[in-house]
Amino acid sequence: MGPLFRPRHNTLALISLFVVAAGAAGVPAGLMVYARTPYARGMQDPIEQPVQFDHRHHTRDEGIDCRYCHNTVDKSPAAGIPATQLCLNCHSQVWNKSPILEPVRQSFIQNKPMEWRRVYKVPEFVYFNHSIHVNKGVGCVSCHGRVDQMAAVEKATPLTMSWCLECHRRPEANLRPVEEVVNMDWKPDGDPVAVGRELAAKNDVHTRTSCTTCHR
Amino acid sequence: MSCDDNKDARTKDRDRRRSLPVVDKSVAPAKGAAPADGGNGLWRSQRPWRSIDERDRQGAMPGAANEFPAGTMDVDDNVSRRGFMQLLSVSTAVATVGAACQKPNEKIVPFVRRPEEVTPGNPLHFATAYALEGYGSGLLVESHEGRPTKIEGNPAHPQTIGATTAIEQALILGLYDDDRAKQLRQGVTPIAWRSLLGQINANNAKLAENRGAGLRFLTAPTTSPLLLDLRRRILERFPQAKFVSYSSVADDGAVDGARMAFGKPMVPRHRLGSADVILSLDSDFLAEGPEQTRLSREFAARREPSPRMSRLYVVEPAVTVTGAMADHRLRMQGTEVGSFVAGLCSVLASRGLEKLAPLASLSHGERKWDMKWLVALAGDLERHRGSSLVIAGCRQPPAVHALAAALNAALGNVGVTVEYGAPLTPDPLSGPAPLAALAQDIAAGAVDTLVITAANPVYTAPADFKFAKLLERVPNSIYFGLNEDETAAACKVMVPAAHALETWGDVRATDGTVSIIQPLIAPLWGGIQEAELYAAFIGEGDVGANKLLRRYWQGQFKGGEFDAHWERWLADGIVPDTGVAAEGGVAVDGAALAQTVAPLLTRTKSGMEIAFVVDPKLYDGRFANNAWLQELPHPITKLTWDNAAMLSETTAKALGIETGDIVEVTYRDRHVDAPAMIVPGHVDDTVTLPLGYGRTGVGVGGVAKDVGFNAGALRTSDNPWYDRGATVAKTGRRFKFAITQDHWTMSPDGRVIPPPAVEGPIEEVLKRDSKFHEEIEVRRGPLPTIHEPVDYSKQAYKWAMSIDLNKCTGCSACVVACVSENNINVVGKENVWRGREMQWIRVDRYFSGNDDSLSMITQPLMCVHCETAPCEYVCPVNATVHSDEGLNEMVYNRCIGTRYCSNNCPYKVRRFNYLNYIADYTAVRELGMNPDVTVRTRGIMEKCTYCVQRIERKRISTRIEGRTIADGELETACQQSCPTRAIVFGSLNDASSKVSQQHADPRRYDLLHEIGTRPRTAYLARVRNPNPELHVPDAHGAGQEHGKGEHE
Amino acid sequence: MAAPHPSVSRDPLEPQPLIEGVHTDKTINDSLLAHVWRGAGKGWFALFSVALAMLGLLVIAISWTLYKGIGAWGNNIPVGWAFGIINFVWWIGIGHAGTLISAILLLFQQKWRTSINRFAEAMTLFAVICALLFPLLHTGRPWFAIYWLMPYPSTNGIWPQFKSPLTWDVFAVSTYFTISLLFWFLGLVPDLAALRDSSKSKTKRMVYGLLAMGWRGSGRHWAEYKWAYVLLAGLSTPLVLSVHTIVSFDFATSVIPGWHTTIFPPYFVAGAVFSGFAMVMTWMVPARHFLGLKHVVTMKHLENMNKIMLVTGMMVSYGYIMEHFIAWYSGDPYEYAQFFKTRWGGPMSGIFYLMVFCNVVTPQIFWFKKARTSIPVMWIASIFINVGMWCERFNIVITSLHQDFIPSKFENYSPTWVDITLFIGTIGLFSTLFLLFLKFIPAVAVTEVKELRHELAHDPTADPVGETH
Repeated sequence: MGPLFRPRHNTLALISLFVVAAGAAGVPAGLMVYARTPYARGMQDPIEQPVQFDHRHHTRDEGIDCRYCHNTVDKSPAAGIPATQLCLNCHSQVWNKSPILEPVRQSFIQNKPMEWRRVYKVPEFVYFNHSIHVNKGVGCVSCHGRVDQMAAVEKATPLTMSWCLECHRRPEANLRPVEEVVNMDWKPDGDPVAVGRELAAKNDVHTRTSCTTCHR
Repeated sequence: MSCDDNKDARTKDRDRRRSLPVVDKSVAPAKGAAPADGGNGLWRSQRPWRSIDERDRQGAMPGAANEFPAGTMDVDDNVSRRGFMQLLSVSTAVATVGAACQKPNEKIVPFVRRPEEVTPGNPLHFATAYALEGYGSGLLVESHEGRPTKIEGNPAHPQTIGATTAIEQALILGLYDDDRAKQLRQGVTPIAWRSLLGQINANNAKLAENRGAGLRFLTAPTTSPLLLDLRRRILERFPQAKFVSYSSVADDGAVDGARMAFGKPMVPRHRLGSADVILSLDSDFLAEGPEQTRLSREFAARREPSPRMSRLYVVEPAVTVTGAMADHRLRMQGTEVGSFVAGLCSVLASRGLEKLAPLASLSHGERKWDMKWLVALAGDLERHRGSSLVIAGCRQPPAVHALAAALNAALGNVGVTVEYGAPLTPDPLSGPAPLAALAQDIAAGAVDTLVITAANPVYTAPADFKFAKLLERVPNSIYFGLNEDETAAACKVMVPAAHALETWGDVRATDGTVSIIQPLIAPLWGGIQEAELYAAFIGEGDVGANKLLRRYWQGQFKGGEFDAHWERWLADGIVPDTGVAAEGGVAVDGAALAQTVAPLLTRTKSGMEIAFVVDPKLYDGRFANNAWLQELPHPITKLTWDNAAMLSETTAKALGIETGDIVEVTYRDRHVDAPAMIVPGHVDDTVTLPLGYGRTGVGVGGVAKDVGFNAGALRTSDNPWYDRGATVAKTGRRFKFAITQDHWTMSPDGRVIPPPAVEGPIEEVLKRDSKFHEEIEVRRGPLPTIHEPVDYSKQAYKWAMSIDLNKCTGCSACVVACVSENNINVVGKENVWRGREMQWIRVDRYFSGNDDSLSMITQPLMCVHCETAPCEYVCPVNATVHSDEGLNEMVYNRCIGTRYCSNNCPYKVRRFNYLNYIADYTAVRELGMNPDVTVRTRGIMEKCTYCVQRIERKRISTRIEGRTIADGELETACQQSCPTRAIVFGSLNDASSKVSQQHADPRRYDLLHEIGTRPRTAYLARVRNPNPELHVPDAHGAGQEHGKGEHE
Repeated sequence: MAAPHPSVSRDPLEPQPLIEGVHTDKTINDSLLAHVWRGAGKGWFALFSVALAMLGLLVIAISWTLYKGIGAWGNNIPVGWAFGIINFVWWIGIGHAGTLISAILLLFQQKWRTSINRFAEAMTLFAVICALLFPLLHTGRPWFAIYWLMPYPSTNGIWPQFKSPLTWDVFAVSTYFTISLLFWFLGLVPDLAALRDSSKSKTKRMVYGLLAMGWRGSGRHWAEYKWAYVLLAGLSTPLVLSVHTIVSFDFATSVIPGWHTTIFPPYFVAGAVFSGFAMVMTWMVPARHFLGLKHVVTMKHLENMNKIMLVTGMMVSYGYIMEHFIAWYSGDPYEYAQFFKTRWGGPMSGIFYLMVFCNVVTPQIFWFKKARTSIPVMWIASIFINVGMWCERFNIVITSLHQDFIPSKFENYSPTWVDITLFIGTIGLFSTLFLLFLKFIPAVAVTEVKELRHELAHDPTADPVGETH
């Protein structure tokens, strides 16, 4: 029988060895990168709602305060999705014939709740509480982004645990006067860090990183 | 990664439940649509409190004053049923998409109209009451978006004073029990409530002809003003009709006894506050009867170590919770107690209580007890005239109660530690006697229409009545019950009852105080309410319980604006000034009494004694389908998921029986096969059989079915509790008990280890330089260590707990409270047998001494939150770590389940989800879960968290208010439920806090202190107050090993 | 061939020859590769099918465990670890003989190791594979354990707990496995080449050819081969000690009476070698018979292994005695109760006494040369020792846990069918791999034997390959 391998097989062998090694290292690395991409975090992906609700219009043009609709944000863990009744407070007068609002009217008449699609979701074992954040001067924009510029709301932040911890370890960057929480355009005047520091003192902010702060 | 996390370790989707329009759809009143009854109660007619203190601050709630005219409050069970179907659809809909990843394709379902007192995400508390044996206990129920999730005691209520019993805690599970009767049916054909009303009306007309002669009501004992008023009106319409009240565990002896002693039926009310010496004659007053919660509190208050510490003597056949607390316990057959108390009378008479002279003659015949004991007791009672108390148990015959009353009168205790009041119900007796009368009527064919609202009489009635057979002779039998149980099967019409938490009503406490019962949720399966069923017989069946109730009380209410008061009553949970004063002067005619009692005391029968007991968990069997109670370890035997024929070691040996042998118990030609269990301190020559098990009925729920044996099958009407002439024989078969504690003593196999539960006699405790304090000293304080202990004094809080063993009675209310608060899974008999029970709190109990000088001590043990916790450093993934405030945190979602932490926990207080116990939760069951606590799936470790969810909620609310949590403002679930306040929780950084004081107590010691774990939970040693005249058995049991639980 | 020597000049330290009979490289080659080329016999197929059946059981048990959860096992609270960890420790221990022989004996230039090292190394590998099943399988949520135990930068910003011995295990065991694999494979290369060259069919040639990695036996090859071999030996020498030391830390670092003791590391290592050699013996005895290796695996090899078992057995016994002494001497009541109440008289004391018999009494017979050189005796003894070492782990894991500190939570333990099936299954896995090894790979390091033959031939002090009889 002739020889089994030719010299070029040596290079082949080397290459294959290299490929195997590269794969072993590369796949986990790739996964770690992927987990951090906006895609994997479901960001930058406007979500269709049953009613074409435009935050730009309501907040910008009409200048309605976030807390008019999300009215439990400062006293409950849940920010609160407005009850149908609340929509109709206005829309029984304005646009009360508009076909876009038909589902809303139906919901009220049939006493069947609207079914909005969820944009922000933390895992069920995470106990996030809106009220404490809002009352300590963390602005809506810090987590929800420029909702006032979104036609359909999209997820603006990754909501990874390390992202939460970042702020819980150094909250200064995301603090503002409590009365400015809903202000989308608020900017600290002067050195942000210094401002943040004194706000932290003023708002009596004590961020916690113990596990049970969020996991119970 | 976190994608997987979502799927796994998932809560029973908290957000989902938050958004579920369960109650708002079914009950929130919709304009136009007729709202559900409960709904109105929920959203309109109540003033809720978010906390107890807030209730006091709260003024009248504007706008809460009921927006809906009374007329709209009709029952419309369709509404609630529709609501329930919607709930099902929504929940399943969400469940299907539940496993969403970072891109949740999930719905948020807000209210259509948000009731103004509801803030989604924040729970509310509503006051209501629960009636057992006709007496009410006041409750506060926590409600999340209209889903009741947790029950607590109402501090304003005279009987519960802020605490609860285990059974009350478990009501929540009963509400969401999927085995409840759901369909109103006639025979097998489902019918609507309205059409049943039609039939009843037609039938009423017939009945009216002979003035209701054929109409009978078999009801549970009740003190409800509304129900009694309806009864009055029914009797007006049908003068010949009869109401019979029946309960298989009725306390008739007391009432009858009082009649013998004072000439008229009366009910004793006890007050332990000023009782220095207490004698319990087979009375388990700390864990039985409507007064138990208050009595436990008062008793514990008098057990503070001091020269004034009270002393408890107990005479009983089998160890009870009360017997375990006794300073001196005398085991005695139930049938002997009579002659014992007679003996006591004669001794006291000879000691100069001339009032008892006429009774002295009663004592004769051979004495089976230790005379020295009796004399010492008599001396003690006599020394404490006017501050002593004799309590007779509900299982004792009238004669014993009568003598007890006579003793109290002679000792001058009446008006101080006990007072007698007229019964709060028109039918004082509700035992076998009245039932016998009914049975005769039925047998005679005199009963045409029988309405049964009593709890499952077919199962509970004495065997000799053959009640099921009797019912066949009743043309129209209507059963009103929660379950399709034995009675339902025997009746023509089954009316599914609304659960206590779905009901409008009212009830009196033992002192007469009225509580309004208000629904927390619309009937899940459109159950009917008792008042409505009554009303049907006066043609008002369609009025609705809420309206009937308001109407009645409006009628009672004098002066002023009713609605405001009504609101107030509902919010407070009690109606002020409705108490009924006890009667002052009661006199005993000794001679007459002696005459009546004498014949009753002479022992006629002989042979082995058979004794029946109320089960501390399942009661008379009505809670048999409650898995929390089934799995709750029995306070004494630690037996779960079964009852056992209990015997003393001596008797068992004589019969060649061992624990786990199946024996045949024969009594009056009736037999049951029962697994035998040898119990320390049990009296010889008696077999004790707990009632409430062995449910076999067709409709009996999956939990209750075929658990244990039915002792009731041996029970007869003439001697419902004790009788002689039983035989116990070995069958040769064996039985596997699921017991949570194998060992009876603190030194199994005579191993010499420091006793986990420390106790000492009062004189040593009061002396500073005593053996007791030496022992305590080595079990606390700093230990030499190579590393600097962490300094927590700079933190806002330093959470810690203290448990006073001197107060803990072992009643186990805390265990169920914890299960309810923390969504703890039930594992079932097989897994308990394997040693996988999940309850975070373990109430350890240890016996010492021998059967005759038995002393028992209970020790609740949950995670002690070691400052240097052995569990933490061994977890490879950091799933259990220490918080900045010293909590030992368990992070479920990080846990991979190596179980290393549990292995390395010297207290063995960690629990592991060996199987996926949540798999079989029904959609309805999930509604009862606490949304603030993650529900644990398979493969996850868990343990006591000091109710961290409560800490964090309180922390956030107080931080928003810009203050810190005040001491006592924050209570753990176990602490809240504890009747004796044995558990205290708080911050050690607040030197004035109760827990700090407790930690500084001279009786304080740390469990396993010697291994240096620095536990945050401290124990306070048990103190005993023995009578110097009696020999004191050695405190920590050199006592022999009392055998083991079966584990083959 | 060297001239004959008078038998008196034979080295008394080498009383028996390491290679029996007269051999040339060719004869050795043929005789040692023979069993690879020989078609599989009935016996082999019989054994193999049995092994496969047991392997099937393993598959069933594992699937059931994954489906039901750990609840399928008998574990409870307090007995959080049971069969799973016992098997883990047992198998890891068995692996040790291989590393010891290949590494330490190599460095000490023990000639007698040559004929058995391949065998033992294979055993190491397969044992570790069996052991590796358990750390993952015994967790409640293996699908997380598999990557959360690794230190990697995760999106939740937390790392493993480096204080936990379980984390150390991950590194210790995986390193051990890798090194053993490389070591074993490196040793194989020349023989694979030999197989390649002597193989008849193309496919066999291809397969062996690929595995041989182009080995041509050139001087350069040999030089580097030797280097690598010694290097790996040097690397794996500490592993012999480290692996079981770290495994013993799982127990030694805890607070549980019966676990919390400083003697564990040496005592575990000794035990490991003890059981390792016992297992080698259990397989070697039949193998040398059926594969016709008697001339290279001589009585001298077997006897030396018995001596090692005797020594390590004594070490282990010393460990037992020390445990009890400390339990008494320390004055710790819990420790005392654990040994003198629970182990001696508890519900599981039977296992304790069985362990004492197997591990303390049994090896003592090896004081006698008759026993040391009797095939049946050593074979049965070796099986006893395997059993005894399993019982030892049972005592440590379960008996210690089921009665620790607080009497109220003393619980009994009883295994389920899954526990038992899992254990049998791993034996099946081991056997399957081993039988395959025996079938397709020379069970003895051919090159090394040839080498040895030359050494002996040219070493005047050594026995001239037993020509003088």
